[in-house]
Amino acid sequence: MNSFLALAPLLTIVFGALLVLILEAFIQKENKNYLGYISLLFLIVCAVFCVRSWNANYSYFDGVLHLDQLALLLTFLFLIATAFVMLTGMKYISLQNANFGEFYALLLLALSGMMIMVSTVNFLVIFLGLEVLSVSSYALAGLKRKDEKSAESAIKYFLMGSFASAFLVFGLALLYGASREIAIPEIVAYFSSSAEGQVIALVGLGMVIVGFAFKIALVPFHMWTPDVYEGAPTPVTAFFSVGPKSVGFAVLLRLFASYWNGGFRSDIIHGLLWTIAVLTMLLGNLIALRQKNVKRMLAYSSIAHAGYILVAILARDSAGLVFYLASYLFMNIGAFSALMALSKKDKEYLELDDFSGIGFQYPWIGATFAVFLFSLAGFPPTAGFLAKFYVFSAAVRQGLVPLVIIGVLASLISVFYYLRVIVYMYMRQPERELDIVMENPALFLVLFLCLYGVLQLGIFPGNVLVVIRQAVSTLF
Amino acid sequence: MSFPILSFVTFLPLLGAILLMFIPKDKKGALYTMALAIAFITFAVSLLLYFNFDAKTADPQFVEKGAWLGYGINYHLGIDGISLFLVLLTTFLMPIALLSSWSYIQERIKEYLIFMLVLETGIIGVFLALNLFLFYVFWEAMLIPMYFLIGVWGGKRRIYATFKFVLFTMLGSLLMLVAIFVLYSTYFKATGTYSLDLFDYYQMGLNPGLQIWLFLAFSLAFAIKVPMFPFHTWLPDAHVEAPTAGSVILAAVLLKMGAYGFLRFAIPLFPDAVTKFLPVLVILSLIGIIYGGLMALIQKDIKSLVAYSSVSHMGLVMLAVFSLNLEATEGAIYQMLNHGLSTGMLFLIVGILYERAHTRLIKDFGGVSRQMPVFSAFFLIAMLSSVGLPGLNGFIGEIICFFGIFSSSRLFAILAISTVILAAAYLLWMFQRVMQGPITNEKILSYRDMNKREIGYLVPIVVMMFWMGIYPQTFLRKMDASVTQYISRIKSREKVFVLQPKSPADKLVKEKETKPR
Repeated sequence: MNSFLALAPLLTIVFGALLVLILEAFIQKENKNYLGYISLLFLIVCAVFCVRSWNANYSYFDGVLHLDQLALLLTFLFLIATAFVMLTGMKYISLQNANFGEFYALLLLALSGMMIMVSTVNFLVIFLGLEVLSVSSYALAGLKRKDEKSAESAIKYFLMGSFASAFLVFGLALLYGASREIAIPEIVAYFSSSAEGQVIALVGLGMVIVGFAFKIALVPFHMWTPDVYEGAPTPVTAFFSVGPKSVGFAVLLRLFASYWNGGFRSDIIHGLLWTIAVLTMLLGNLIALRQKNVKRMLAYSSIAHAGYILVAILARDSAGLVFYLASYLFMNIGAFSALMALSKKDKEYLELDDFSGIGFQYPWIGATFAVFLFSLAGFPPTAGFLAKFYVFSAAVRQGLVPLVIIGVLASLISVFYYLRVIVYMYMRQPERELDIVMENPALFLVLFLCLYGVLQLGIFPGNVLVVIRQAVSTLF
Repeated sequence: MSFPILSFVTFLPLLGAILLMFIPKDKKGALYTMALAIAFITFAVSLLLYFNFDAKTADPQFVEKGAWLGYGINYHLGIDGISLFLVLLTTFLMPIALLSSWSYIQERIKEYLIFMLVLETGIIGVFLALNLFLFYVFWEAMLIPMYFLIGVWGGKRRIYATFKFVLFTMLGSLLMLVAIFVLYSTYFKATGTYSLDLFDYYQMGLNPGLQIWLFLAFSLAFAIKVPMFPFHTWLPDAHVEAPTAGSVILAAVLLKMGAYGFLRFAIPLFPDAVTKFLPVLVILSLIGIIYGGLMALIQKDIKSLVAYSSVSHMGLVMLAVFSLNLEATEGAIYQMLNHGLSTGMLFLIVGILYERAHTRLIKDFGGVSRQMPVFSAFFLIAMLSSVGLPGLNGFIGEIICFFGIFSSSRLFAILAISTVILAAAYLLWMFQRVMQGPITNEKILSYRDMNKREIGYLVPIVVMMFWMGIYPQTFLRKMDASVTQYISRIKSREKVFVLQPKSPADKLVKEKETKPR
């Protein structure tokens, strides 16, 4: 249905971002939290719009912006992620000397970029959304202006991100040149029509995949990830590890859903994805083994998880993919929130040695962090297990048994480094007092919401699964 | 719907663990009272299972089935003659293990008790689950509390031991998970419906070529858990480092999960593959018997001696399982219970000694029986039960196993007898060096004999040992129907596979024949 209401969620967020930017100039440094509350308010309004548009199928701009079920569901997930990041960030940015109201505005802008990307099938508009997301992300990475690592993170992200965008645009140009189409379904239709110039189009498609592979940090396009994740302020890292990754997979899902539905199946593209998935799962986990810094370890772990999610694309399991994204959101933001809990003024505790004995010293932080790590490692009865179960079982149904065997062995490797953190937390004596700041109710709220999410999705995901299946029913 | 007794038994400990979280951690008495009360209620309710169990029915009883996640993932619990006594063994030993921890565990009592109760839920769930997904969830979830129990409350090399335990077990179970996926997708392709129900899979005839791979994946998981030679290396480490109660549960119940897995899943699901691999499996079991026994002979540490004796005894159990006949299978199940009691008790005994001496090396002891006569008596009973003295439980189990093995293969039976000889050698020799002779170490003079609590938790085990040794009918007759059905299921599978062309299996066979893999 062509309706102006299709723009409502997006406009809410953009308006919120601009309002926060303006207010930023007038608000005292001590009261920056109010900007967070205002931003959260806009997120809630946007969530209400999303829920009300369910089943309404709104679209605008001649259908270029189309709020189908999948777009709404993913937007809703992004809203949750952004809200979590804002809540955890409130205390963090004032403690870590990064108390700028722009934090909220940039997050909202990045969110709007992601919303654009999931609500369209037009590659040009996707690119538009991607740039909105990326530019805000570069600025977010450098939020701690005086910090060398943060600056390094921003520059690296900017350089590699532009490089990836260049790949993407060049790929799009080739695709357009060959097929004279710019929307995903038409491009796919062109491939199945076996018209001329397929080779050029195939190269273009490959470059588009590479462009997105940069964004979602698939091996061998992952080099920037650890440095960027380590250097960026931790709430921003949590956002990076969930937001851009999910949105990249959402676009890949739309692309490959119609690609494989079209009956056209290229062995080259399939082989390319297969190889990337194997490399990502293995390398991500193997390098994570050697990390002594937990934040960096979580960066590599997020690379490995991208590999598992790519298996979902190969397995054509769209419901499994979205479920994985949802589970990943809760467990990863949860893990990063636990990291953020271990901080005090101008100091974060991120080295593995800092974790000695904190499990019994801070039982709630320790216990929730342990649950998130178990979930990331894929132990039942957590969301991480169920997500892997769905993805891998679908892959076996598609006959990808060797891939699944590599996948489970890779996750066996991951068990080692996730459990090592737990060893430090529970099985070693504390080396020194951390005296971390405990008055941080917003962060504890996020910890508990994530814990709830991980367990709910792991044990009784019933209704969530129904909604997800409904959302992706139009895809495959 | 009647009272969901199986769910109650399974989840009551978990509920207890949650309740424990609300008790302040410095109230040791309240914490223990709560945990023990939960463990005792669980045991009492599980006794109802025994009394209401219909010995004439082979199929699972007290079945609870409910939709859970859809697509074949259902909540499905049931108990039959094979799992009944393993569940009872678990609920019986848990209060004893908790009582034994009273003085051994001095710090972080609250967390310890919570993990013990969560562990109990996991173990019972493994024995009761009839849906492969549910089974796998319990199978894996149980690792988490065990990981903490060894890692937090264990000995000096606890971190190494707990990592080895978890990684070994995970390696096996993850490959089993892939095999479960293959079964899941094969069933879906053959019938068009999703199922993870064990009994649906029993009906499904599988291509023998496929069976081989699936059987290998399943039996790797179970063989690591048993543990069969050469996958046993995690066991001595885990046993030696674990706290006493952890060792008790590990030896008495966790190892049984591996053998149970063979009986419930690996053998009846893939009978053709079993017949192919039988020689290898039998030889590995025999190596386990002899190797475990020889290794036990040379151990310097009492606890690792008992751990290696487990390898040897479980080798006999596995040999009986692979004899694939009625006597041997019943003997194997009976011997699992015996091993649970006798090895569990040996670990408790070692724990009692360790609490006094703070060492477990055989050379540090000598003449302990003069100082601790009551302890000596209990030690002797536990040891003789493990050796297989007539009148005690071990004898009955071993003799049934040997009868069964003998009717399958005389040579193997003769070789298997060595388990008794070796057990007598290493246990008696150890007993002699530790308990008898003159007191060699002055410190021994300061040992107190067992107190009432220690006697209290050992007496029930001794009673059960005599009961099982003198009147085994109480236990064996409840198993008959289920074991008979299990044997006939293996033997008849091949016929079903060929003779019923209308079964969903047939479609599958044709599919596989036309598409050679």
